[in-house]
Amino acid sequence: MTIDGILAAITAIGFAISSNPSRKAILVSALLAALGHGFRFVMIKNGVDISISTFVVASFIGLLSILFARMIHCPAEVFAFPSLLPMIPGLFAYRTILSLIKFMQSADKLKNQEFFMDFFHNGMTTLFILLALVVGVSLPVLLFPKISFSVTRRY
Amino acid sequence: MRILQNVSRMADNFGYRLDLSVFQLSIIMTITDRDDSTKRLTLIKKTKQLLINYTFVSNLSALSWDTHDKHLTYEEVKKRFHEIISEKRTSRWIILILVSFANAAFCGLFNGDIYAIELVFVATLVGYFVRQEMMLKHINHFVVYTTSSFVASLVAGMGYIFHWGNTPEIALASGVLYHTPGVQLINSVLDIIEGHILTGIARLVNASSLMICTAIGLFTAMLLLGLDKL
Repeated sequence: MTIDGILAAITAIGFAISSNPSRKAILVSALLAALGHGFRFVMIKNGVDISISTFVVASFIGLLSILFARMIHCPAEVFAFPSLLPMIPGLFAYRTILSLIKFMQSADKLKNQEFFMDFFHNGMTTLFILLALVVGVSLPVLLFPKISFSVTRRY
Repeated sequence: MRILQNVSRMADNFGYRLDLSVFQLSIIMTITDRDDSTKRLTLIKKTKQLLINYTFVSNLSALSWDTHDKHLTYEEVKKRFHEIISEKRTSRWIILILVSFANAAFCGLFNGDIYAIELVFVATLVGYFVRQEMMLKHINHFVVYTTSSFVASLVAGMGYIFHWGNTPEIALASGVLYHTPGVQLINSVLDIIEGHILTGIARLVNASSLMICTAIGLFTAMLLLGLDKL
């Protein structure tokens, strides 16, 4: 779990920096990513479904990020989104498209069935993880709109 | 949407009402005087394609609150706006190194062994450099993504050719993952949830076309290396 968290933190820093946030925000998003991904790792190990565990972890990150947003006067999205990036189902998305291309190229009927199953399975996983991430992280923002939209206010 | 709230807040400070709709390539905005509704101005303006920049987002949001709370004059607001806009981005070389480390760590998250991780590091370094160079020359984004993922997966596919490590397929798959437009995907779903469905779908189509381009680049490289029969 520790290794998983550290790797997730490195990933979050790298992907966060290409969207140019401030220094403090990068550190916070690395911390949140490490916590989130570590917990998700443990949950998946204990047999929880990947999209449900993603949803739980994402709403957890959303809550924490509002807390941090109040502390450093920075919109919550600025570090909530980069800390979700290690959990974006990129591998599933590429497998979806690759199986679609293979389906197009192959003429073998039996293999085509397999490719189609692959396409559907990976595509659905991608979609549900993505929805879980976004709905989870935006639940706290939708629940406490007053707090989350006035964090950059200084007085 | 944060944009709408911030801009309305600023307009409110100067005694105007504001209506705004945002599209992919342009914005339409009308401001009306609160006391005299015959005084109004509508503007349709093309937007520039900018890179994602969270420093702008948080500073501009702070500026809008300052305008509201401290009642800044128009000149002051304009001055601070230009200060924020002209702030420099992080150096591209730092970004290049950090993104490479990030993608290598990402490969580790998918249980790639140490050979796969090193391979992905080099692949990302080369691929991201190509992308930065092409972006500077303002080449079409789809072409940039395809070429860059093609180059990256050529490097990452070397694990198969020379039989390095036990997980060359993970190296090949995660070598192009630095292209995943994560922020755009999250933004698009968030827009749809909040009811800005048109903007959300536009962003979704944009992000998925970029991902399809990346996959085409990956697949071309696999064809060239003779790995397409896997």
